[in-house]
Amino acid sequence: MNVEISRRRFLQGSVALSILGGMSFSSDKLFSQENKDSLSSEKKTKDVPFLCGMCVNKCAGFARVEDGVIKKLNPNPYFPKSRNMLCPRGNAGIHTLYDPDRLKYPLIRIGERGDGKYKRASWDEAYDAILHGTDKFKGILQILDEEKDNRATIGYCNGEGLSKEGFEDLMGQKIGTPNYVDEISICLETTLAGYFNTIGTYGEADLKNCDYLIIAGANRAEAIITPDTMDMFKRNRGRGLKIIAIDPRYTNTVANADRWYAINPGTDLAFVLALTYVVIKEELYNKDFVAKYAVGFEDYKKHILSNNYTPQWAEKITGIDADEIYKTAVEFMRAINPIYYQGRRSVFAKNDFQLRRAMAIFQGLSGNLDKKGGIVFGKKIKLPKEDINAPMYAQVQERFDVKSVAIPPDKTGSWILFRNIILEGKNPYPVRAMFMRKHNPMSGVPNTTKTEQFLRKMDLNVMIDILPSDTTMFCDVVLPEASYLERTSPVASYGAIEPAIVQRKASVEPLYETKTPEVIYKELAQRLTKPLWKNTLKYDEDVQDDTKGMDPSAIEKYYKENGFDLTDLYEKTVEEANRDKVIKTFGEEAWKILEERGVYYPNIQKYHKKLNANESEYYPDDKKYYTTKKDKLKVIMNFKNLAKKGVDPMPTWHDRWAFKVPEGQFRLITGRHAQFTQSGTTNNIMLRDLIRTNYLWINQDVANKRGIEFGDDLEVKSSVGKINIKAFPTDRIAYNQIFLLHGFGGTSKEMEFAYGHGANDALIIEDKVEPVYGGAVMHETNVEVRKV
Amino acid sequence: MNYAMVLDYQNCINCKACEVACKEQNNVELGADKQRIWVGQTDNVIFGNLFVNFYPSQCNHCLDAPCVDVCPTQASHFVEGGLVLVDQKKCILCKGCMEACPYDARFVDDERVAVDKCTFCYDTRILKGETTTACQATCPTKVRMFGDLDDENGDVIQLLKQRKFFVLKAKEGTVPKLFYLVPENDEEYALQSIGHNNKIYTWDEMSPIIEAAKAKRSKQWKKS
Repeated sequence: MNVEISRRRFLQGSVALSILGGMSFSSDKLFSQENKDSLSSEKKTKDVPFLCGMCVNKCAGFARVEDGVIKKLNPNPYFPKSRNMLCPRGNAGIHTLYDPDRLKYPLIRIGERGDGKYKRASWDEAYDAILHGTDKFKGILQILDEEKDNRATIGYCNGEGLSKEGFEDLMGQKIGTPNYVDEISICLETTLAGYFNTIGTYGEADLKNCDYLIIAGANRAEAIITPDTMDMFKRNRGRGLKIIAIDPRYTNTVANADRWYAINPGTDLAFVLALTYVVIKEELYNKDFVAKYAVGFEDYKKHILSNNYTPQWAEKITGIDADEIYKTAVEFMRAINPIYYQGRRSVFAKNDFQLRRAMAIFQGLSGNLDKKGGIVFGKKIKLPKEDINAPMYAQVQERFDVKSVAIPPDKTGSWILFRNIILEGKNPYPVRAMFMRKHNPMSGVPNTTKTEQFLRKMDLNVMIDILPSDTTMFCDVVLPEASYLERTSPVASYGAIEPAIVQRKASVEPLYETKTPEVIYKELAQRLTKPLWKNTLKYDEDVQDDTKGMDPSAIEKYYKENGFDLTDLYEKTVEEANRDKVIKTFGEEAWKILEERGVYYPNIQKYHKKLNANESEYYPDDKKYYTTKKDKLKVIMNFKNLAKKGVDPMPTWHDRWAFKVPEGQFRLITGRHAQFTQSGTTNNIMLRDLIRTNYLWINQDVANKRGIEFGDDLEVKSSVGKINIKAFPTDRIAYNQIFLLHGFGGTSKEMEFAYGHGANDALIIEDKVEPVYGGAVMHETNVEVRKV
Repeated sequence: MNYAMVLDYQNCINCKACEVACKEQNNVELGADKQRIWVGQTDNVIFGNLFVNFYPSQCNHCLDAPCVDVCPTQASHFVEGGLVLVDQKKCILCKGCMEACPYDARFVDDERVAVDKCTFCYDTRILKGETTTACQATCPTKVRMFGDLDDENGDVIQLLKQRKFFVLKAKEGTVPKLFYLVPENDEEYALQSIGHNNKIYTWDEMSPIIEAAKAKRSKQWKKS
C-alpha cells in the first residue's frame, strides 16, 4: 500500500518504507514439540543461532540450550562480520537474560517520580494506564484531547537495536509524532555526516589489507568493533599493518600500536590539516586519483596553503612534534594502502563535523578509496521492504527543534537541544509525554540534572526496557521487554566487503511476564488505535471533511484505508515476515541455511571454508566487494552548499577551538572499556567481576604533588554538577587531563549490583552541542578535582 | 595424545573474553580473584616511554608437574593426554599444590570447598567431542591454539615448527605446555615483552624435552 503524502503538513522526512510484523504467540507455540519433549527426563540440547545484543556490533553466536535454559553462548563461525568470536560482553549475555533485577512484569507508578514506588500490573492494566492515566499521572488520551490531537505533543526515543525501526514505525509513522530523538546525537552523528558529505559513505576500513593506519581517538582494543578489532590486532607490530595511535590517553590500543602521539583533546582537526598541508605542499598526494575524483581540489589546495597549516603551526595547537607530523604525513602517502581510520563514538569537540570532513578528504588525497586495502563502500544484500500505510493528521505540528542547528537531520534530533528547548519552555507547542524504549538518557546525555528536570516536566513517561535503569525510575508506566536471547528479531542485512544477511532467533521463550518488542508494539497499537481515532475524528478537520455524512461502516473503511488503524503493521509475526522475505528473495534453501546457521549469503556453502580451528574464509578474495563505486566515486573537498548553511565549506581551524585548561583544573575525557558497553551492562554479575566500578585517571606526578593515592576519594566538579569517585593515579594520562569510564554511577536502587558503584560522567559533562547537527560535545568540559 | 596450547600473545588486547568464556563454560566461581585463566599485564616505563604488555595465561599442564607430587590425597592427578586435573572430592584444601605451582594457576573454590584450576575444558568440551577450549574459541584476535603435540599434522605442531617460542619459568623444570610464540618482525616488542633470561626454543629443541618428561610421567596418566 502506498499512500499519498502531499496534501497535509506532516512528514518533513521521507516515509520509511518498512514493515515489521508483531509476534503473537499462541498456546500452540508456548507448548511446542520441543518444550513438550523437554518435560521428559532426557536432557534436550540445542544450539540456536542468535545475534548478540550486548552492544551495537551484532556479532553472531550459537546459544547452547539445555532443557530450556541457556548454558553457554558460543561464537558463530559463519558470520563474516564477527569472524567466529564473542567478546567478554557477548559471553556474559546469559546474565542479562537471567539478571535477577530484570523488569519482570508491567509496573504502574504509585509514588512520586524517582522514588521507585510502583505497583505490579497486568499488561491490560498497564496499557490502560497509558491510555487513561491514574490519579498520579495523565493518560495519553487526555493529553491528546487537551492538545487537540496534535500528535507532536508526544516525544519518543529509542536506543540502537534491531527492533528500533518497529518503534519508529509505530510512534512516528502510525501514531504520527515527528518529535524523535535517539542515540545518534550522543554517538557518531557527525562522523557519519562528515564522511557521507565528503565521500558518500562512512565506509568500511579494509584492515585485512591496509598497511598503514592512523587511528585517532578510536580505541579498538577496548571499544571493540567487529571485524575491525580482530583484523587490526592480528596484523600489527611488524606483521604488515603499521599503527599510529593518536589519543590523549595511553589506551590498550596505544599499547598495541607502533607509535603514539598524545594529542591535546579536541585538536585533531589541526593535526589532520597539517598532514594535509604536508602532502599538498610536497605534492605527495595521488595526482591521478585527485584529478579524476576530487571536487574542488584547487580551492582546497589554496585554502590549506594560504592558511599556512604547517606542522609547526599544528605543533602549538596539538602538542605533537612538528617533525613527527611531517614524518607521519610522508609515511602515510608512501604506504601502499594507508587508512586514516574513520573512528566512531561521540563528538569530541565542537569542530567534529569539520574534523571528519578533513579526515575523509585526507583519505581521498591518498587515493586509497573504493579499493582493496582502503576505505571501501562494500555491498549490501537487498532485502525487500514493505510500505507503511501512514495516516495524515491535520493537527500534528512539525518538529519544534529544527531551527536550532545548521543541518537538521530529517528523522531524529539532537538530544541536548530537544531537552533544553523544552526545559526552557521555548517550544512553540507543549511536549507533554515521552515514550521511551531501550534508552537511558539519565546516563547517556550530558547534564543529568537537566535530564531529570526534563523527565519530571512530562505529564506522562512510558518506558519499554529490560532493566530498571535510572531513566525508568522517572517513568509512569513501565513495560518489561524480552531480552535479545528471548526474541526473534527482524532479519537484517550486513553491508560490507563480505556482505551477509543475518537472523537472530529466540533461544528461549520470554521469561516472567516479559514480551518481545514487536508484541508490545502490536498490543499497544491494538489498545490505542480506536480511542486515538476518536480523538482524531473530534479535532481533525481534514478527516471531518472527508468523513462527513458517512455511515459508521464507511467511516470504518476510511479509517482502515487511510492508515489510521494502527494495527495494520502487525498482520505478520516477525517469524512469518522473515520467512516470507527470505524465501521470496533467495528461495527455500537460503531460508533453511539462515535458520540453521543464523547467516546466509549467496554461495555461502561454496565460499565458506574453515582454514583452521580458529578461522574461516568467507568469500574467495576475487569475490569480495572491494571496488563497487568505480566512476561514481567523488571526494568533495570544497562543499559549497555548506556555506549557505553558515558552515565552513572547507575544513577550517578557528582559534576558539584551542585547547585551554585554566591553571589547576583538568580537561575531562571519557570513554569505553572492553568489558562493558554502557550503563546497560553495569548490572551484569559476570562483567562486574572484571570491572566493578570506574576510577578517575589522574596523572601520577600531579597525584603525587597533591598527595592523592590510589583509591582516595575525590570530588570532581564542573559548572553543571559534581561527582565523587576513587583515584587511579597513572602515567597514562597528561598532567592537565582526567579520564573516567562512561556508564557507572547509576542511582537506580533496583539495579542492585550496579548501584553504589562509581560515578556518572553525564552529571558533570557540560551540555554543549556542536553547531552543525547538534551532537553532544563530550570533551570540552574543564573540572576541578579535590581530595575529600 | 599430549594436549598443549600455543599462544600468539602478541595478538592479545586484554579484552578478557577468554576469562568470561571460561567462567561460563566451566561454572567457575564468581569473584574477581577466582580465575582459571587470566591476562597478566606489565605496565612500565623504559627511557621515558610507556609500555604495556599482555600475557594471557592459565594452568600450564606441566608434564613434570610439582602440584601432583605434593598432593597428599592424590586429588591433583594426571589423566590421559597429559592433563593435570583436580579431583575436587579428594581435595582437603591443604593448599600444598598452590604453593608448589610456579605459575600461581590455582585458587580455592569456596563453593566446592576445593582447589580449582584450568582443565583445558577437558570435562566440559573435549570429552564431549569439541576440539577447542572455550577460551580459544571465543577469542577475538585468536591468541590461542589448543591441540595435540603427538599429532604431527595438527595446527599446534605446525605452528611450533614454523615459529620460535618460549615457555614461562623454564628454569623451574616442570616442562610446561603453554607455548608462547616469539613475535616476528618486531624485535623491539620481542625484547620488551620477553624476559632477558628466557630461553627461546625451536620445536627441534623442545621436542626431546617433552618426550623425556612424557616418558617419565605418562605411567601416571589415568585413563578417564
